[in-house]
Formats: sequence, C-alpha cells, structure tokens
Amino acid sequence: MTGQDASRAERLQAAFLVAPAVLVLAAVALFPILAAVWLSLHRSILVFGEERFIGVENYAFLLRDTRFLTALGNTAYFTLVAVTVELLLAMPLALLMNRAFPGRGLLRASVLIPWAIPTVVAAKLWAWMYNPDFGLLNQLWPGRDVNWLGTPGLALHAAILVDVWKTTPFVALLLLAGLQGIPQDLYKAARVDGAGPWRVFWRITLPLLSPALLIALLFRTLDAFRVFDAIYVLTEGGPANTTETLSIYAYKTLMRSGNFGYGSTLSVVTFLCVVLLALGYLRLLGRSGVTR
Amino acid sequence: MRGQGTSAALALLLWAGTTACAREHPQVAKTPPSPHRTRIVFKHQPLWGDEAPFRALLRQFERTHPHLEVVTEHIPNAADVAHQYFLTALEGGASDFDVLVVDVVWVSEFARAGWIADISGAFPPETLREAYFVGPVEAVVVEGRTFAVPWFVDVGLLYFRTDLVPRAPRTYAELERFATQAMARQPGLAGYVWQGRQYEGLTCNVYEAFWGRGGETMEGGRIALKTPPMSQALAYLRGLLTSGVSPPSVTSAAEEEVRRTFQQGNAVFMRNWPYAWSELQAPGSPVRGRVGWAPLPTESGEAGAGTLGGWQLALNAHTPPERREDALRLIAHLASADANLLMALHYARNPPRRSVYAAPALHDGAPFIASLLPAIERARPRPVTPYYNLVADILQSEFSAAINGIRTPEAAMERAQRLVDHLMEEAP
Repeated sequence: MTGQDASRAERLQAAFLVAPAVLVLAAVALFPILAAVWLSLHRSILVFGEERFIGVENYAFLLRDTRFLTALGNTAYFTLVAVTVELLLAMPLALLMNRAFPGRGLLRASVLIPWAIPTVVAAKLWAWMYNPDFGLLNQLWPGRDVNWLGTPGLALHAAILVDVWKTTPFVALLLLAGLQGIPQDLYKAARVDGAGPWRVFWRITLPLLSPALLIALLFRTLDAFRVFDAIYVLTEGGPANTTETLSIYAYKTLMRSGNFGYGSTLSVVTFLCVVLLALGYLRLLGRSGVTR
Repeated sequence: MRGQGTSAALALLLWAGTTACAREHPQVAKTPPSPHRTRIVFKHQPLWGDEAPFRALLRQFERTHPHLEVVTEHIPNAADVAHQYFLTALEGGASDFDVLVVDVVWVSEFARAGWIADISGAFPPETLREAYFVGPVEAVVVEGRTFAVPWFVDVGLLYFRTDLVPRAPRTYAELERFATQAMARQPGLAGYVWQGRQYEGLTCNVYEAFWGRGGETMEGGRIALKTPPMSQALAYLRGLLTSGVSPPSVTSAAEEEVRRTFQQGNAVFMRNWPYAWSELQAPGSPVRGRVGWAPLPTESGEAGAGTLGGWQLALNAHTPPERREDALRLIAHLASADANLLMALHYARNPPRRSVYAAPALHDGAPFIASLLPAIERARPRPVTPYYNLVADILQSEFSAAINGIRTPEAAMERAQRLVDHLMEEAP
C-alpha cells in the first residue's frame, strides 16, 4: 500500500519535474506546427486581405502543381546524391583519422574547417569560385568556360558539391566517434586468426559501425532534405527553378509572395516528408540496436 | 490580435529598459528624451559613404522642429529581404517606426494591404505630377490617391566601350554587329553582358527588350505576356546567348557580376543601373575614360526605355494620429528639392524631381546624374499591380526557362499568362 503510494508520489513528482520542459516544447514546437497545419487549410494571401477556410483545397492544388513536383524531385535528388557521396568520402577519412600517425591532431582539426564556416559564407565563397569569368574553378581549368551555376542540370550538381565539401567533415567526425567505440580486442583477435584488412573491414568494422552510420545518415538526410541556405545563396532556385528545393519554394511562397495558406501547405508537406524519413531511420536504428 | 499582444509586450520591455537606463545614468539627463519631444522613427537602407551630410539634413529638420527627435534605423540592403521585413512587421501591426522606404514595385501592394497610409491630403497627386517625373508618380499614386513620395529613382542604361565601338548602337541589330566586330578584333572579349540570373534583374532586362519592340505592359487592365513583342524579346535574349554575343555566364549573373566583367575590360556592352558609372570611372578602374552610356537600343532605332527603379517615402499606416502630422513633415523635408540635391551630390541617388536637373550645383557636382535626365524621363515601370510580388515569382521562373532554352518563348509565355491570369481572377 505504502509502496504503491510512494511510486505514485514519485511518478507525480517526475511528471511535475518534466512539465516545464514539456510545456516549453509544446509552446515552441508543437504550437507552430499545429498553427501551420491550420493555416494550410485556409486561403490566406496578405495583399488579397482575405482569410477563409477552404479545407484541403490547397493540398488538392499541390498534387496538380508541376512546380511542387519539380521541387520535390530536386530535393530528393539533392538529398540522395549529396548524402551518398558524403558517406562514401567520410568513411575513408574517418578510418584515416582513426589511425595513429604523426600530424593526426592537425588533420583532425583542419578537416573541420569547412564545417566551422557558416553555410552562407561558404556558399558565397563557392559562388565566387564558380563564377565563369574570374572564378577559381575556371582558372584552374583553362580553355573550358563552364557556367556552373547558370546551366540547367549543372547548377544542382554544383550545389551538391558545396554541400559535400561542407558536411563531409561532420559525417567523418560522427563515424570517427563510432570507430573509437569498437573494442581493439576484436581487431587483435581477427589478426591472430589471420584475417586480411578487407575482411576485417567488412566483418568487424562495418557491422559494429552501423549504429553510428545510421545516426550519420539520419542527421544528414533530414538536413539535406530541408536544404535552403546554400542553394538560396548560390542560385535562388534558378536557372528556371532547376535548383528549387521544397524549402526554397515554401520560402518564396510564404515570405516573398505573402501567400501564407499555400506556403504553409508546402511547409507541412516538407515536414511530413521529413517525419516519414525520420521514422524509417528510427526503425532501422532500433533493429540494428537489437541485433547488437 | 497576436501582433498587438507582442507589440504591447515589446513596448513594455522597451519602457522598462528606458526607465532602467534613466535610473542608472541620471547624468545623461542633459539632453533628455524629454516627454515634450516626440520621437519620429525613419526606417531606410544604409546609404553607404559618409553619413555626415545625411545627418546634417536630419538635424536641420530637428532645428526647425524643436519638439521632434528623429531616429533612423537601417533595414537590410537586399530588396527582397527588406520586403520580407516590412511584410512581417507591418502585417503584425508594428508602430515602432513612422516613415519607411518603399521600392517602386511595392507601393501598390502595401497600399492595397493597408500597410501604408493615404497621404493625398499632404501630397495631392496633382502637385506630385507637376514636380516629379511620370514614372515615379505612376508608381506612388494608386487609384487616384497618393501613398508615397518619390525619394530617388533608378533607370536601366546601356554602357559601351568608346575605344571598341564607333558609337552607341541604336538598334538591336547594330548592337549585335558592333559587338561581333569588336569580338573578332579582340578574341576573348565578351560582346554584351546583362542580368540573366533568375531574379528581379532578369525581369527588368526582359521588359526593356519588350518595350524596345513596341510592347505594352498592360492591355485593358491585364498583364500582357502572350504577345508577339514578348516572344520576340525572349527569342532575342536567348539568341544573344546561342550566337555567343553574350557569354553563357550571363545566365547566372546579377548587377555586380557583369559590372566586374565589364570593368575588367572584358566586355563591349553592358546593361546596368547608373550606380555602375562611378565605379567604372573610379581611379584605378581598367576602363576609366573609355566608357560611355546611352539609352538602351530598340528595334526601330529611337531611344529605348529603361526599367524604372528607385525608392519612395511612405507613412506607416499604424502610426498613431498624434505623430502623423510630424511624420508627414519629415517626409516633406526628406523629399524636398534641397534634399534631392544633397542625395545626388553625396550619395549618387538620382533625383525624382524635374527641377533639380536644372540646378547648377548638380551640373557642377554630379554632371553624370545631370546628364541622365532624358533616360529618366523615358523610364517605364514594370506592371503596376498590388500583386506584383506574386506575379514577379511567375515571371522570373518563366523568363529564366525561356532564356535558358528549357521552354520556347511561346510555351513559357503561354504558361506565364495562364498562371498570372489565374492569380488575377482569384483576386477579390
């Protein structure tokens, strides 16, 4: 009886203690999301001076909106390519940084420089390097005047390159943390058993690194899917919307056009995509945790 | 409702802040923000250059209006960021600033949205028409009522290299011929550079090519896009890129990119705003003394119209009645002919008033600006509509698609016309 009371009191106390945090979260995260969903059910354009409930009409329009489909395609392509390349580059980098060799501290520090530069500054820097007339890239590659940011098809890849340059160090760092959590005994045992480096990598490093890999994938996918600042600085979504991502489309609709209803619809859909991605990863992560 | 709540909370915070400061530093009370001195807040973009002449202009106002204190606050320089700031602040009912600057394409929108006040009483449209150029007046008078006063104007110009071409081209054909000839003599040279990035600058360039072919912006209250002159204009700009008269870099270029290319001596012609002149003629500029400007070419050879740009002064609709009179006096002071002259001499801002161009001080102090008169008189506004920002978004992407060859001019304008018409139909 008293034990039950004590545990009830404890639960009450716990609820009481987390209540402020929950309230703050509800106020700063839940409320804006619900407000956006509510707005997305309205026709609300500031200059028109009207705001009326239209149900799911905005969502119906979204399905017919070719610009939305292009933006969704651009975003998905950007995310897929950028994250894949980042992982492929970060893996050897992390393995290298994990080895003991002279100058390792220096390497670890210098690898972080791109990550430390604010995205807008880095994007501006790259925009000048991409400049077809006096940019560094075309100077290094004389005779070929490549218009990096002005050619449809090429511009999105130029943006991917900036993202890869900027966030590969972050992925490498996450993987490095994962590598350092692998017990050395396993490697010693493998060596005793006569396993080659390739086999060690596939049978020991990669499986034990998978939780860290998944975390890195989760972070990067969600980040890349919401990409805004780098592309906005590089191209503003041009040429001809070939680099327009969902976030840029939503921003232009919301803040430039003042179309709050449809802009909120775009934001809500972006949010739902991100939630779905996150849920997928979390399931994978849970499974990999169980097998361990 | 929510806006009022936040501004009340902000006001409370500010009040707490000022009283706290007053308590901590009683000695500052020499020049007190005394209760009988009213604060008028002016929001504008940084002017660049020496702030002193502008400060003197404001102090002059304070001397003649001792009961007022003028405070200036900066907004971001980039027009779209400034627009976003005003959109959120004014929609939220902000009354912490009284006088604001408004881009030439925003007046109609801000007036329609009820963000800026009708100031026809202090500045009747008829008096504005007498003193100012047609373009800026067209922009600030909405349905017969004045909503802003022109502060300074901008206009698109053609810059050319006097050492590479015999004279300024008058027609598009001449421009292409001169450029090709100069390029043949000097390999590596670009012919004609302009703003082709997907942004507002592209819209200005397309409209200039459109007007140069006899295009009319509005037809019976409708924004006319699916028209032969518009298709020809886009085909011409696309043709400049495919024929190599314009380098491919143009499709990602804004004002500064092309200004740098031209200033390095790497281009024969450039379309840009008047600001470029002082940069091109600055000491150390590789093209100093070898640059001329002219009105944009046209199909027929008569002087072309450049796009009208520039900023106006407006009164915040949320400014309380007791501050309105004084805020209007500040607008009148800042928009006076003397102020126009000061802005021209010290900040290279082109006066919107005809009379200032006759002032000897302008001819002596800023001869380039004085010479712009004919170009400014011919400047034409982009579509004047409260929905300009919604329209601009459509125009930018379709214009970009056409000059990049993703869609034919006809297909792009078909799409643009459909989207713009749809937008206008929905407007109540």
